[in-house]
Amino acid sequence: MGFFSTILGFCGFGVGVSTGLVIGYYLFIYFQPSDVKDPVIRPLVEHDSQSLQQLLPEIPLWVKNPDYDRIDWLNKFLELMWPYLDKAICKTAKNIAKPIIAEQIPKYKIESVEFEELTLGSLPPTFQGMKVFVTEEKELIMEPSLKWAGNPNVTLGVKAFGLKATVQAVDLQIFAQPRITLKPLVPSFPCFAKIFVSLMEKPHVDFGLKLFGADLMSIPGLYMFVQELIKDQVANMYLWPKTLEVEILDPTKAMMRPVGIVHVKVLRAMKLRKKDLLGGSDPYVKLKITESKAPSKKTTVKHKNLNPEWNEEFSIVVKDPESQALEFIVYDWEQVGKHDKMGMNVVPLKELTPNEPKVMTLDLLKNLNQNDAQDDKFRGQLVVELTYKPFKEGDTSKDLDNPLQKAPEGTPPSGGVLVVIVHEAQDVEGKHHTNPYVRIIFNGEERKTKHVKKNRDPRWDEEFTFVLEEPPLKEKLHVEVLSTSTRIGLLHPKETLGYVNISLADVVNNKRINEKYHLIDSKNGKIQIELQWRTSS
Amino acid sequence: MGLISGMLMGIVFGIALMAGWKHMMRYRSNKRIAKAVDIKSLSSLNRDDLKKICGENFPEWISFPVFEQVKWLNKQLSKLWPFVADAAEAIIKESVEPLLEEYRTPGITSIKFSKLSLGTVAPKIEGIRVQSLKKGQITMDIDLRWGGNPNIILAIEAALVASIPIQLKDLKVFTVVRAIFQLAEEIPCISAVVVALLAEPKPRIDYTLKAIGGSLTAIPGLSDMIDDTVNSIITDMLQWPHRIVVPIGGMPVDTSELELKPQGKLTVAVVRANNLKNKELIGKSDPYVVVYIRPLFKVKTKVIENNLNPVWNQTFELIVEDKETQSLILEVFDQDVGQDERLGVAKLPMIELEAEISKEIELRLLPSLDMLKIKDKKDRGTLTIQVLYHEFNKEEQLAALEEEKRILEERKKLKEAGVIGSTMDALDGAASLVGSGVGLVGSGLGAGAGIVGSGLGAFGSGLSKAGKFMGRTITGQSNASKRSGSSTPVNSVQENGGAKPL
Repeated sequence: MGFFSTILGFCGFGVGVSTGLVIGYYLFIYFQPSDVKDPVIRPLVEHDSQSLQQLLPEIPLWVKNPDYDRIDWLNKFLELMWPYLDKAICKTAKNIAKPIIAEQIPKYKIESVEFEELTLGSLPPTFQGMKVFVTEEKELIMEPSLKWAGNPNVTLGVKAFGLKATVQAVDLQIFAQPRITLKPLVPSFPCFAKIFVSLMEKPHVDFGLKLFGADLMSIPGLYMFVQELIKDQVANMYLWPKTLEVEILDPTKAMMRPVGIVHVKVLRAMKLRKKDLLGGSDPYVKLKITESKAPSKKTTVKHKNLNPEWNEEFSIVVKDPESQALEFIVYDWEQVGKHDKMGMNVVPLKELTPNEPKVMTLDLLKNLNQNDAQDDKFRGQLVVELTYKPFKEGDTSKDLDNPLQKAPEGTPPSGGVLVVIVHEAQDVEGKHHTNPYVRIIFNGEERKTKHVKKNRDPRWDEEFTFVLEEPPLKEKLHVEVLSTSTRIGLLHPKETLGYVNISLADVVNNKRINEKYHLIDSKNGKIQIELQWRTSS
Repeated sequence: MGLISGMLMGIVFGIALMAGWKHMMRYRSNKRIAKAVDIKSLSSLNRDDLKKICGENFPEWISFPVFEQVKWLNKQLSKLWPFVADAAEAIIKESVEPLLEEYRTPGITSIKFSKLSLGTVAPKIEGIRVQSLKKGQITMDIDLRWGGNPNIILAIEAALVASIPIQLKDLKVFTVVRAIFQLAEEIPCISAVVVALLAEPKPRIDYTLKAIGGSLTAIPGLSDMIDDTVNSIITDMLQWPHRIVVPIGGMPVDTSELELKPQGKLTVAVVRANNLKNKELIGKSDPYVVVYIRPLFKVKTKVIENNLNPVWNQTFELIVEDKETQSLILEVFDQDVGQDERLGVAKLPMIELEAEISKEIELRLLPSLDMLKIKDKKDRGTLTIQVLYHEFNKEEQLAALEEEKRILEERKKLKEAGVIGSTMDALDGAASLVGSGVGLVGSGLGAGAGIVGSGLGAFGSGLSKAGKFMGRTITGQSNASKRSGSSTPVNSVQENGGAKPL
């Protein structure tokens, strides 16, 4: 009997619990409002000392650490922009989610899934400080401390088997410290080619997830588990040194590196117009590649000739065959005064097939404006032969991703190539003049950079290579900054602004070193030298 | 019995469980909200807040200037500068050259950059301030200082003189840049950016000019002419209330609200002057008055010869775009064989005027508008004018715009035909046609308008200039990946043919 009543008791308890849960649900949870209220924010001055105490763990990093900068202006900007961002993001999110939902729901026998509510709330993310790092490499590193404790409200209505369920996500909080690296820096806007984002610490994620109004995340244990799971997932993907890479520009193009050479042979011109009063014209051709700072090249002058034959060859470096063009301008040479323009034309490089010589006969035009009505006159023709030779694929892209190239073929097996890149110097100062250049002496070989006129912080960015039989374990590199007078005179013709000896053993071990060295015999001078040791293996 | 007690216990347990859950929910929710509130209230602190939090241990390194310091941005900028300079050089060359062409003074026939490098010193951002002065707009003021070492060589061709290279040295720029972001409800949430230099504090752009292989004195007044060109560009294009509007995001937005447009009309009658200074050796000065609100709009009275108390009684109409910040400038000149000499200048801030009330004002002439430059306190005479400000209503504004459009077309044709080289030439049209060379303001302003052919007079020609200027909107620059700024302001003006003067 006792046994029987115990069984009954258990059954009753089971039924009771379920009834109790249902009653409790209706009693406590069902009638809870599901909308999200804006929290009341009191100004800090009104806080008492106890609530201030609570604030302390959240104090921004810029208050605590002098190496973090305050970026309240950005916070303010974000705050003002937030209502608009909120609407824009939600709209985009809805539009993106719709087709995905439409595709997925037939598989799960769900009738419909739709957003009942979607807003990111009134609280914008805040930056609690910004730290930047300065290295010698061509990159910018910044570490904002990002905290978003928002009050978003995302309510999904799911209909299945005639029942309707709502899933609501509230109070999303994300604290993270991302490291944003912009590199490589390139000389075309926006001045960097790629963005790398990675997290320096595991991010803190917290939120409430309500199913039928009951917050699943407040079940003890479950919340911890989910939080850890999310942290680990995110950490697996983006925790440093893993990064998220966003490409902004094609680095090869953006670097404006040479990608090929165009060989131009200026053959002849025909039926040029007479420009001089006495005799014929004295034509010569000036050729130039667009979007380049390289000086233009000139043929010789053919005196008194309206059908000149030049047969002269030129090689011009190409950086972007898609957009660059060759410009030919025929001038009339004059002994005195301005040289007259006899005509011009332009050949876009994309019209050329690589590695295939092409002879072109160009009509000379007054200018490039096609609508110019005055341009009907015949000005003669110019015959040129063009060959575009692109560099081999991989030659250029490889050294971008990996600054450590292998030594070129033909280097001795035990030896390699020492590459010295002279980047820049700071605070070099001569007594009488400061027109600095750098002299490098290694194994008796001497190399020089260009002169920079009147500059205390010159920038050279010049590269020198030395081919060696043996690794330079004991040798030293002598780097010297010199200045020469711009005036020709016997007084102070040359001056040493400082020197430094760099031992090369470290380079052999490290393959690459990029550092600033203090100059000896100089007040505050520093020089930045990059050294690379390339071996064939 | 067991069943019922079991059920009861079960119900109680179930309800308790739910109550516990609810308690837990509320606890967690409150905790999250409290945290959110904390972070929100800490997101922008001022000195008092920080003092309250830190108490005794207030960090010494923190200060709260009006313009927030941005050390990190400066660090990044100086690192990035060589690359920015490289990238910007081509764009500046492309976009500024047409501007120089447009605004050059008649004495100069062509200005081009023959060398342009921005140097090694990066600009410094002294501070940034963000405010919201108007709903839906964010105003960002950037205090910018640049004492760089750029190397700019201008190839200048002056009338009758061959091209001379002029070096611009020791360029210093101190200014507050105001950027207004118009917000929108589409990504990227900014539909347009308005850029201008704040008029107060006045932008300071200092430079020294040096002729290479020659002397600046080779052409009299050349350095003044360059100063004049630079000044007109800055005050007429960039200085508040003039602004550049850059649409962003590629979506068609109505930016007309942001643009500067005619707000009203000022009728100025230059009545007479008294006790002018005598600058001539023989006889007396031959005074005339140049009147303008914007330097591009200059109108001129006739010359009254040999008179120190001239009476002109000439009436002009000028367009006002921003009553709050613009001023009417009146310059009295003495016509001379060489360069005309300035006898004095007077300024009347528009904000002092009331609409629709005609008023006679006597203004004291000053040697210069820049108070710092005034050395002597000598009396330079007075100028009497009569002013009437009329605020445009919607229809009048539209009519003014329509008129602009029409004149703009005409001027464009004329420009193509080569009658007028630039807007500044048009101002001095007659002078440049005859080729009478070097004169700052030149003679024959009225004649210039006559050449425009529409017979609309100086007012019309001024208006069309306004239209031309306002029709200039930089498009497409927003696209960050765009390599070269091929869409320079002037290009866009030619593309849309001035069809959109807003």
